[in-house]
Amino acid sequence: MKTLRHFFAAVAIIAFALFSPSVALAVQPTNVHAAEVLREWYHMVLKLVRHTPTYSPPVASRAFAYLGVTAFEGVASGSAELQSLAGQLSGLQAVPKRLAGQTYDEAVVIDAAMAFAAQNLFANTGPTGQRAMAKLAEKLRADVTANVPADIVARSESHGQALAAHILAWSKSDGGADIENMGFPMEYKLSKGAAYWVPTSLVSQQQLPLLPSWGKNRTFAMPNGTTCDLPAPPAYSEDTSSEFYRQAREVYETSQNLTVEQRAIARFWSDDPMLSPTPPGHWISIALQILERDHSDLDRSVDVVARLGIAEADSFIGCWNTKFQYNLLRPVTYIRRTMDPKWEPLLITPPFPEYPSGHSTQSGAAAAVLTQAFGENFAFEDATRHRDGLAPRRFPDFWAAAHEAALSRLYGGIHFRAAIEQGLEQGRCIGAYTNSLRTRK
Amino acid sequence: MRGIYLGLAITAFAISQASSAENPVTLPRFVEETDSAGIDSIYAGEWEYMVGGGVATFDCNADGFADMVLAGGTNPAKFYRNASERGGSLHFEVQTSGLELDKVTGAYPIDVDSDGITDVVLLRVGENVVMRGLGNCRFERANENWGFDGGDGWSTAFAATWERGAVWPTMAVGNYIDRQEDTSPWGSCTDNWLHRPSGNSERRFAPPLALKPSYCALSMLFTDWNKSGTPSLRISNDREYYEGGQEQLWHVEPGKAPALYTEAEGWKALRIWGMGIASYDLNADGYPEYFLTSMADNKLQSVANIPAQGQPKPAFADIAYAKGVTAHRPYFGKDLRPSTGWHAQFEDVNNDGLVDLFIAKGNVAKMPDFAMKDPNNLLVQTAVGKFQEAGEAAGVASIATSRGAALADFNLDGLVDLVVVNRWEKAQLWRNTSSNAGQWIEIKLQQPAPNRDGIGAWLEVKHNRQVFRREISVGGGHASGQNGWWHFGLGEMTQAEIRVIWPDGTSSDWQTLNSNNLYIVERDKPTKMWKPG
Repeated sequence: MKTLRHFFAAVAIIAFALFSPSVALAVQPTNVHAAEVLREWYHMVLKLVRHTPTYSPPVASRAFAYLGVTAFEGVASGSAELQSLAGQLSGLQAVPKRLAGQTYDEAVVIDAAMAFAAQNLFANTGPTGQRAMAKLAEKLRADVTANVPADIVARSESHGQALAAHILAWSKSDGGADIENMGFPMEYKLSKGAAYWVPTSLVSQQQLPLLPSWGKNRTFAMPNGTTCDLPAPPAYSEDTSSEFYRQAREVYETSQNLTVEQRAIARFWSDDPMLSPTPPGHWISIALQILERDHSDLDRSVDVVARLGIAEADSFIGCWNTKFQYNLLRPVTYIRRTMDPKWEPLLITPPFPEYPSGHSTQSGAAAAVLTQAFGENFAFEDATRHRDGLAPRRFPDFWAAAHEAALSRLYGGIHFRAAIEQGLEQGRCIGAYTNSLRTRK
Repeated sequence: MRGIYLGLAITAFAISQASSAENPVTLPRFVEETDSAGIDSIYAGEWEYMVGGGVATFDCNADGFADMVLAGGTNPAKFYRNASERGGSLHFEVQTSGLELDKVTGAYPIDVDSDGITDVVLLRVGENVVMRGLGNCRFERANENWGFDGGDGWSTAFAATWERGAVWPTMAVGNYIDRQEDTSPWGSCTDNWLHRPSGNSERRFAPPLALKPSYCALSMLFTDWNKSGTPSLRISNDREYYEGGQEQLWHVEPGKAPALYTEAEGWKALRIWGMGIASYDLNADGYPEYFLTSMADNKLQSVANIPAQGQPKPAFADIAYAKGVTAHRPYFGKDLRPSTGWHAQFEDVNNDGLVDLFIAKGNVAKMPDFAMKDPNNLLVQTAVGKFQEAGEAAGVASIATSRGAALADFNLDGLVDLVVVNRWEKAQLWRNTSSNAGQWIEIKLQQPAPNRDGIGAWLEVKHNRQVFRREISVGGGHASGQNGWWHFGLGEMTQAEIRVIWPDGTSSDWQTLNSNNLYIVERDKPTKMWKPG
């Protein structure tokens, strides 16, 4: 990459000297390199999400949103094509501008911005994550600054950092900045009643639900956490002729007759915190694989990761708002109560209310955003989990993947069908708000 | 006889001092004697020493008192000769032993060559070294003479056994991540190695066998979890670094390649930040329970669904929450962030006949989401099998950044003392000064070579109407191992019935021994009471 970088740098300098000495616009070859730098940082963040204990799926989605907006604004500030999201996203004020008539290096800008964002969003990661981030920052900086004049490096880094600091300052007031006790409240009053969520885990921390106030956080593209509310789930009943019982029975019987394929699907999309990049990270990984496969340019890359991050973050806010509105119990609780006291679902039941399915909501939103970005019938392969020994899966389009991700929760025994189907619809609704953002001038 | 035991047990609980109304317990008391005892050792080092920090306790000068070597990380390991008087305050003297290597993360004592003198395996960042005991607490490197390949890994776990028919031990070494990986150390777990004897009659090791897959072991233990007569290798792995990994249980059967227990055999996957293993038969069903340390949560596993005819599947129920040993956050102070657990060990610290649980705690480094002032736990078992925190009341609630530890009776007064290794701070030593403790007995096993210390044997003690079993092992904990006297609290019992199931499965007869004494139980010979001096 370094040799290529030097060539691009030389081309950029010549192009700049010949055509545009007074306009702060990046040249394309530098952008290609910047896109590589962007992906390097995203790959690091996917690992940090997995290895930072506070990074449950909602918290991860938030980081992806701010990281994406940072990347987007970093590029948009020097682009003739991209439209800033300031004024479009809740509470985001105008971002720092580049100095008129000055030259910037896009790779240096993006590297500085991403390094700043990652090191702040993951300031709480462990010693190995800190060490890895520092090493990556060191390597990338050496790479992007090679043969770039010192004044351009200084100016570009300063701008990237200022921009990232602006986004970080904005993030502090959204309600999700401070995570204590890995997201589990120290005090919380559980509702009494057969229909309501009760702890399903033997882990002490998880006797109270994860992030019960997350649904009140400031949203990004949609007005607030209630914007895409859902109808109530089927009424709780233990009557064997009731819809509730029927849906629970479906979970139970499916678990007893899982096919090899269903089991593989459940595991592929399980996306457990601390053991994977989490569900939002899984979709970010899908986007990165496509951007890398297609050698997507910088503008497209930042547009995609920003929109996807925003949609994921809004999904978790909307979904969590609905979860704690209905506070529904999990299949394992109901099935053991009414059908089989010793029943064990395939997947570990997450420690928060059931309806709707978080993976379904955010997969629906991701499918909506990625379909708009890449088009209908866009086939792709997803190798997100191959290093965990899970074979890549192929999909004809994004909605097929989203439906499979959603259904995986039924195969895994952790969601009823209503939570899956309504979750996808909620995601579609939330994704539409992200899709309505204007990112091109 | 059973009626007498029951009556005495009731009396024991009636005199308990520390109590909740529901579950009274006898409160142990400890006094820190680090400075007065002469202990001054720090486990130092940065990233490559964030794990490890062990201690080995063993008697290397045949005086009966447990000496010890403490890992120093980037500092040289430090050996201390135990100069305590029986029943007196603790006193140790630094002595040059040959064990003073740098880059040591952990230490385990084992009489490899069965010459009656304890040898020591030093785990290191770099080459591991087996140190042959020469007597009088002198040691020499034995890697070459014994064919031991020390590798060049980041070693963090150890366990040993004598496979059936072998004259030489089988040793497992757990290795951590590839320390050369800088930007992507995750998923770089290096292979654990199994050092088996080179044939049944040779007194040296064969080239090591890689235990694939390996998932960044931080503790390992040979244990006969199913009473099959053949120990399996239990490995606790750190999920921070593996990809597709989990906890592991290996078949290690003589003459066969090691093989993982599988889902088809009943093995249930568990994924934790595994850091330490402690084992004891807590419920007197004949099968050991396993306590596994982690972060923000700890596990206590019990074999699930034991068929009447035995031969259970390798499925374990988590009973930590039910027993009150999740120990997931500090139990005093204002720092209520989640805990980080390391060494764990079951010992009866108040001699009430029920083993208690010590857990060393300490932040990995400065992780802000986890407690920085994370007191070590001393969970005292109650009569109903639950545990109550007594660390602060007992005086051992250090908030240093602890790692390895050992509970051992350093002054041979029948009360189990405590040494804890701390990262970046001095190791700490406490003397157990409990004045209201019950009766006790301590036993040292001996059998003809090989395996003179009877590693893999079971020591059984009848208590009330139950038989408590203790598996004699080298391994487990966090980078810390012990050899020497095996301690049992007896409550008010003035005599104890004991039996040994030797490693080959042969049972000794039950014999009655008077309490408050140390005994050497030698195979096929009369048991001898032992006194120092």
